[in-house]
Amino acid sequence: MPSIKIPTPLRAYTGGNIQVPVTGSTIRAVLDDLTTQYPDIKPHLFNNSELRSFVNIFVGDEDIRFLDGLDTPLEASDALRIIPSIAGGQDLPRRIDQTGLRVGMAVTIIALLVAFVLNLWPLVLLVAVAQLLGGLDSPYAPYKLFYQNVLKPRGLVKPNVITDNPEPHRFAMLVGAGFNFAATLTLLTGATVLGWSLVWVVIALANLNFWVNFCVGCYVYYQLGKFSVPGFNRAPLS
Amino acid sequence: MKIRLSKDLRAHILAHLQSTYPNEGGGFLLGSFDAEGATLADFSPVNNSFAEAEQFHRYAMTPLEYAKHEDAADERGLMLLGWYHSHPDSPAVPSSYDLNAAVQGTGVNFLWLIAQIDQAQAVDLRAYQLRPEKDGFNELRLVDF
Repeated sequence: MPSIKIPTPLRAYTGGNIQVPVTGSTIRAVLDDLTTQYPDIKPHLFNNSELRSFVNIFVGDEDIRFLDGLDTPLEASDALRIIPSIAGGQDLPRRIDQTGLRVGMAVTIIALLVAFVLNLWPLVLLVAVAQLLGGLDSPYAPYKLFYQNVLKPRGLVKPNVITDNPEPHRFAMLVGAGFNFAATLTLLTGATVLGWSLVWVVIALANLNFWVNFCVGCYVYYQLGKFSVPGFNRAPLS
Repeated sequence: MKIRLSKDLRAHILAHLQSTYPNEGGGFLLGSFDAEGATLADFSPVNNSFAEAEQFHRYAMTPLEYAKHEDAADERGLMLLGWYHSHPDSPAVPSSYDLNAAVQGTGVNFLWLIAQIDQAQAVDLRAYQLRPEKDGFNELRLVDF
């Protein structure tokens, strides 16, 4: 006969019993048996006849949602348990870590200046790729990895989390990436003045953001939002 | 109802939540219920399994983490009384997201501790329990010893 382990918050409905012997050859049958033995537990497991979304049934290490759901067949030796989902969070925050963004700006400025002085177009391309990954909020974004795994753990910089929309800042990074990709292509075609001019636009805008805290890309984002351009739907936070 | 916890335990829980800043952190509260409420004896930090980009305002743990910690608590003769999590740069009050998670998941027999962590410093810790009507939380008294 299988038994089912009851999670701590539901033990009040099984008379304090931790393991309850149940009969049945499917999950549905054993839950029927459990709720017949302990009717008070039923509303905590089901919404009408549907298993509640925050209630998980496991057979060994397997979630029945990835097996056959309530029709999952059971062996007498199967270890069954009910597990509540644990989750929490905040309602509103639109947050960015300004330090992380500033680290990205600083690296961009330094790398592009080095690229200009040494006439290295591949470095411009590398910055473009880093900005692209940052703009797409990729977990492999080099600036983010450098900040999260190198600078922050060593206490070299302090997080400065502020309330703001992250989307305009990502858009600004994508604009920077666009300029740097265009600059790379232009430099490869031999039009060096135009190519480096594009790079200097990025250097100037990154400096404006780094030193004066004015994000031109964000401004453009919000202007596009005013004209209801699809995808630019975040309004500035007061 | 009051929740008793030692000053050391409070400090350890808050230190854990400061270490996960600017993301939300969380874990389990172990202890026992008694006539006056509950006494916390220990805590178990659990990794935040929510999508990394959302961890600044969301926390979740996997069901298997729950199973592992519940088994460990049962073996020690302690109860998994509840859980704690942080609200980075936000008040230590339950959100509507918290309320939905409590109503749908943990129910009325589970304690919630929420900490406000401002700029990596803990500034508030409060205890709650879902009301029987499931329309909100009651705040519980946290008593240090």
